[in-house]
Amino acid sequence: MAAVVAAPAVPAESELDRSGTEEDPREAVSEEEGCPQQQAGAPSSASHNRLAKLPLARIKALMKADPDVTLASQDSVFAIAKATELFVETIAKDALVYAQQGKRKTLQRKDLDNAIDAIDEFAFLEGTLD
Amino acid sequence: MAERPEDLNLPNAVITRIIKEALPDGVNVSKEARSAISRAASVFVLYATSCANNFAMKGKRKTLNAGDVLSAMEEMEFQRFVPLLKDSLEAYKKGQKGKKEASEQKRKEKDKKTDSEDNDKSREEENEEEEERMEEEETKEGENEEEEAEN
Repeated sequence: MAAVVAAPAVPAESELDRSGTEEDPREAVSEEEGCPQQQAGAPSSASHNRLAKLPLARIKALMKADPDVTLASQDSVFAIAKATELFVETIAKDALVYAQQGKRKTLQRKDLDNAIDAIDEFAFLEGTLD
Repeated sequence: MAERPEDLNLPNAVITRIIKEALPDGVNVSKEARSAISRAASVFVLYATSCANNFAMKGKRKTLNAGDVLSAMEEMEFQRFVPLLKDSLEAYKKGQKGKKEASEQKRKEKDKKTDSEDNDKSREEENEEEEERMEEEETKEGENEEEEAEN
């Protein structure tokens, strides 16, 4: 399992500063860290890319799966990527509440299910995770 | 290569990292929970995209823009994301602008030095590199996910 490196970004991006972001405890979300993933070309502008942790190429591919979507601006792909990160944080935190109720320190699948049932905003997930 | 939306998962390593950073130290996440969150994230992308696309169509536009995404967030009752997204978008757009100017600069410099033939060649090479990089990324991510699935 350890073979799976923390960052999926390819060695081609080696000029970009990785700076071991995993271990650092952080209060504010993201901002200027994390591996930039994707982004076409321009190897010199390392610092500009550090805003999204999720690979924009993958997000874009998901977006294109929708037959009604013709074109998406780069900004919109980035916005969805960023929103998805926020979503992941949100759902993890909400699920944690249920784990803590069960006096556990490990988040389990049922905690997620509970959160989805209880929280209106997650209603769109019902029935999709099986 | 992924053909169906269900096959398109976001990289497990990144999802794990986002989760860990959101939770306090000492909290663990089971593999099942992690994979469920990853799937939820994919569903979120699809749902948010569809929502945003509705706004684009309302505006009679064929191209989804960031504003559509923000409207979608409000529609989906994730309004609290909006201020954070706006800030990130600002920073991102500035970065994009800087990159664009930088690569235009590069091109101008190349034009000065070399003649047109060499220009085309180097541009082709650049493009090939970009494509290769993207392909490499995708296959590598694919491999990683296969490994994880086996585990």
